[in-house]
Amino acid sequence: MKNQLNLLALSASKIDRRHIQAFFLMVSLVMLVLGVGAPEDGGGNIR
Amino acid sequence: MVLLPAILSGLLAGMARARSFGRPYQLPELRFLWLVFIAFLPQFAILYLPGLRRQIPDSWSAILLSASQLILLGFAWLNRTQPGMGILFAGAALNFTVMAANRGFMPISPRTAGRLDPDLDVPPGSRFGLKDILLPPEATRFEWLADRFLPPAWFPYQVAFSAGDVLIALGVFVLLARQDATTRNST
Repeated sequence: MKNQLNLLALSASKIDRRHIQAFFLMVSLVMLVLGVGAPEDGGGNIR
Repeated sequence: MVLLPAILSGLLAGMARARSFGRPYQLPELRFLWLVFIAFLPQFAILYLPGLRRQIPDSWSAILLSASQLILLGFAWLNRTQPGMGILFAGAALNFTVMAANRGFMPISPRTAGRLDPDLDVPPGSRFGLKDILLPPEATRFEWLADRFLPPAWFPYQVAFSAGDVLIALGVFVLLARQDATTRNST
C-alpha cells in the first residue's frame, strides 16, 4: 500500500505544470467557441 | 460541434508548423482565462442540463445567454493582440448582434431548420435546438447574420451556421496554428 502511494506521488510529481496549464487553456478555448458560436445541428431540440 | 474541428485542426496545423521550424509548439498565452469559466457556467446550466433547461423561462435564458456572450466578447477583446483573436472577436460580435436583435437567440428560418429536422412541426417563434429560435426571414432582424448556411444536401452531417460562426472557426484556427516560437519572439 505504501509503495503504491509512493508510486502515485511519483507519477503526480512527473505531471508538468505546463501540461496542466495547457489542459486548462484547451478547455477554455472549447468553452469560448461553444459560448460565442451558435451553429445548429438539430440535436437536443426543445419542444 | 462544428466549431470543435477548427480547434483540433488549428492545433495540428500549429504543431506541424512548429515542427517544420524545428521548434517546440507553444500554446497561446491568454490572459483572464477565468472570465471564460465564469461566462460559460450559465450557458452550460441553461443549455446543456436538460432538467434545468426546461425549468428556466425563455426570457431568462435569453438574458443569461446575452450576459454570457458579453463577458466572452470582453475576454476576446482583452486578448485581441493574439493572432486570430481579432477574427474570433468579429465573429462573436456578429453572432451577439443578431441574437440580441432577435429575442436573445440565433434566428433560423423554418426552411433551413427543415433540412436539419424534416419532421419539424413547431410554430414560428419557438426555440429550436440549443440557441436557435425559429423565425421566418421576413420577421428576422439582420437575417444575413442568422444561421442560414448549410452544407450540400448530400453531405452526411447537416448543420446550420452563421457568418459569425465561420469567423469564429477561422479565428480559433489561426490562434492555434500561428503559435510557435517565431510568433512568440516577434511580440
